[in-house]
Amino acid sequence: MSPETAQKNAGGSTLTRDVSVLNRYGIHARPAALLVKTATPFACEILIEKNGVKVNAKSIMGLLTLEGNHGAKLKIHATGADAADALAALADLFERKFFED
Amino acid sequence: MWRTAESPRITVADFFEAGRVSLRLDWEANPEAAVGREITEVSLNRPGLALAGFVRYFAHRRIQVLGLAEMTYLGSLPVPERIARLQTLAHVPAVVMSRGRRLPSYVRQALLPLRVPVIRTHLVTGHFMNAATVLMQNMTNPRIRVAGTMVEINGVGVLLEGEPGIGKSEIALALIKRGHSLVADDTTILTRDSTGAIHGSAVPITREHMEIRGLGIIHVPGLFGVASMREGMRLDLIIRMQKSPAGDDAIDRTGLDTQFRDVLGVDIPLITVPVAAGRDLTNVVEVAALNQRMKQMGHDAARELDEKLKVALARKD
Repeated sequence: MSPETAQKNAGGSTLTRDVSVLNRYGIHARPAALLVKTATPFACEILIEKNGVKVNAKSIMGLLTLEGNHGAKLKIHATGADAADALAALADLFERKFFED
Repeated sequence: MWRTAESPRITVADFFEAGRVSLRLDWEANPEAAVGREITEVSLNRPGLALAGFVRYFAHRRIQVLGLAEMTYLGSLPVPERIARLQTLAHVPAVVMSRGRRLPSYVRQALLPLRVPVIRTHLVTGHFMNAATVLMQNMTNPRIRVAGTMVEINGVGVLLEGEPGIGKSEIALALIKRGHSLVADDTTILTRDSTGAIHGSAVPITREHMEIRGLGIIHVPGLFGVASMREGMRLDLIIRMQKSPAGDDAIDRTGLDTQFRDVLGVDIPLITVPVAAGRDLTNVVEVAALNQRMKQMGHDAARELDEKLKVALARKD
């Protein structure tokens, strides 16, 4: 994340949450689209991290480049006023295996 | 600023895979020892002096190349002495035999128990040293992954950045339709080479695809042909797309005040363009790239007009 973006969100604090990829096929196109759909209505900035690489949770192509395989450990970072709600909504998708399996 | 780079660590196995074709490599011994074996000094060494017994400045963190000189020297020694001298190579990352030479049996006898990976190249020593140095440097160049779509416009590498949904991919698509090419959609990897130039490329798995809202994922070379894609491109210009109220300070109305972004320690020109309904940004981006090319050729339109104005105004004084 660029420092400019960090400054822009300086008003809200960053909350994080660890999640695991539980569905068998990992973050392929459909789960990525579901994540984007869920993340976009929130005003806060949401990044998903795997092995130090962070991508924007509101971008399908970004999520696909993560290569979040089954079993991968990810961390969600949310910065902004509605960060807590956003984390809860996204973590729920991971727990429900993106309604797959 | 985009400064927090990672400089990838490379192992002997990574080096072998990356150079297998271009450096014409084969395994000669101990390939299993190459996995996870890090190359801590990205350079090559000819261990002639060390084999001759002078080990004080032996660059043991580098890959060691046994060329004709080393092999002839070892061959001139009595056999037990050869094996003793080869113990010097016990902790090097790997040994390379040039000119496609096989390991003589005494070298094999010495190196197998040391579990040092031995690679054979079919190149001559000099060519291998040059090509392998460049390859290893490219593999370990500082790099950073940024959110942005990169395109090539008439030989100018442009990175489009802005919030998700602002229209980066749509502009890239319109530019592709005008004959320009895509480097990376949405996520771009930037690296700094040894000359200080910044290069952009795509994350390999999504290289040929784009996501367009309303259409979904499309395959770019399938729809527009192979000329619509570029594997990598030098970064010349960053265009920041911003939804902003009129009169924003970041918008330069004259073009006289060039802004820069620090990318891995290199200043890259940065333009901020406002996004508004009904504004055709494709043209703006295309012209910005051409204008950047003019500047690189030594013509700065804003400055030239300003000079002309100053002369005209001075005459009326």
